[in-house]
Amino acid sequence: MENFIKHIKFFISERNPEDNQKDMKDGIMEECDRYFKESIYLAAEAISELATKRIEDGDTILIFNRSQLVVKILLDAHNAGKKFRVMVTDSRPDLRGILACERLTAAGIPVSYIYINSVTYAMTEVTKVLLAAEALLANGYVIGPVGTGMISLVANTYNIPVIVCCETYKFSERVQTDSILFNELADPCDILSNVRSDVAWQNHPNLHLVNLVFDATPPKFISIVITEVAELPCSSAPVILRKQLNTCY
Amino acid sequence: MIPYDTKFQELSSRLKLASGTSRTSVASGCDLFVRFITLRSKSLEEDVWDSKNFDNLKNHLVERGKHFMKRLSGSRKSIAQLAYPFIMDGVTVLTTSMSRVVMEILAKAHEKCKKFKVLVTISEPDKRGHRMVKELRSRDITAMPILDSSIGFVMERVDFVLVGAEGVVENGGLINYIGTYPVAVMARSLNKPFYVAVESFKFYRMYPLRQTDLPNESKYLSEDEAEHPVVDYTPPQYINKLFTDLGVLTPSAVSDELMKLYI
Repeated sequence: MENFIKHIKFFISERNPEDNQKDMKDGIMEECDRYFKESIYLAAEAISELATKRIEDGDTILIFNRSQLVVKILLDAHNAGKKFRVMVTDSRPDLRGILACERLTAAGIPVSYIYINSVTYAMTEVTKVLLAAEALLANGYVIGPVGTGMISLVANTYNIPVIVCCETYKFSERVQTDSILFNELADPCDILSNVRSDVAWQNHPNLHLVNLVFDATPPKFISIVITEVAELPCSSAPVILRKQLNTCY
Repeated sequence: MIPYDTKFQELSSRLKLASGTSRTSVASGCDLFVRFITLRSKSLEEDVWDSKNFDNLKNHLVERGKHFMKRLSGSRKSIAQLAYPFIMDGVTVLTTSMSRVVMEILAKAHEKCKKFKVLVTISEPDKRGHRMVKELRSRDITAMPILDSSIGFVMERVDFVLVGAEGVVENGGLINYIGTYPVAVMARSLNKPFYVAVESFKFYRMYPLRQTDLPNESKYLSEDEAEHPVVDYTPPQYINKLFTDLGVLTPSAVSDELMKLYI
């Protein structure tokens, strides 16, 4: 959102202040539409094209949670005739991986579904890990749904390439080295669903329920970041940021 | 421009086929050459590109080609100038196979009266390490060939490793004659610095994730897949520094340089 707002502010500052209000509004709406089309829809197409080249026949691809971009890449690769299977990793409390499962199985792709707890076991069969990012920070850290860091760590231990797909509008100037700074907490009561216990978990003086939303993955666990502009190593995120800043100021 | 483009592609393919084990460096050199000579810079050259005068355009392409070749031929000397201070008195340097850039650096250090010793891995299958030893000895540098399998044995005595390159890929990884990767892993394991001396024209727009991601034309000399590969890929985490004509770079900076060229 940060980048989009900067872009629109810059666009507004470039406009002729003499313009009437209607023209100004129309211009801004048009620019918003153009930005969404280029940075989100077309970027997804470009990333899919680059990412499907990385998927080979016989691969077992591990994905996490549900990401529209990752599911799109897998569907495109399947439509291109590649023969592979997918391992969908899921985590409580959201269990959003089920949605990914539904879409992939509907297309005829063989899918295995596991909870994130068994990822060390599953990783022995996996050939590639395909993840999406919420943001890519200036120091190369990848912000993703909580659990991404763990999966990247395990994949790295087993020497399995971790491919992160990220559109350039998600690149941020922020710098962060751990998951606690700048995170979000979701409703702690979500953790309590399906918990069978006699203890009253809400309002217990010694118990603090933490439902983190994001986590930060260090660049050393990521093999490659695929953006619509280029395929780059995580550490080169500042190069793209520099180009974006140059066009903005 | 399109007929010229296909002509360049044709010439590049012929060069690559003829180049034997150096296919990667020839491929990257050709790509960069084509990119360099067809680069349009805004100011003066608009009229050259837009005019219908073919001779003007041809002269322009030839000029840029000559400029590129001039920069290329000077690159080894500038790398030697940059890298020789890293060789201090009394060091033992380990290198693999035969590299003219490394030779230039060692010769420069010797010229500046540094006393050092060089160990060269023989580099099966074509044993090109022997050629390197012969060249070094002809310049009065103390050099000794060692078995590829004895790198574990000698690594504790080595101060740093300096190798050349066939190509450097987008993430800063190295493509070099087969046997380089184990040396890098061994050096990392014993905390010895691993340096690569490479000209900037060898920066290649490729991003392998594993050994099998290297294209077959780079790995095998003939169509026969039962043959042993001639190159291997060393991931960037094993490389400390790259000495190039653009300066001393870390592997992460290679991506930066490539993007400046291509994007």
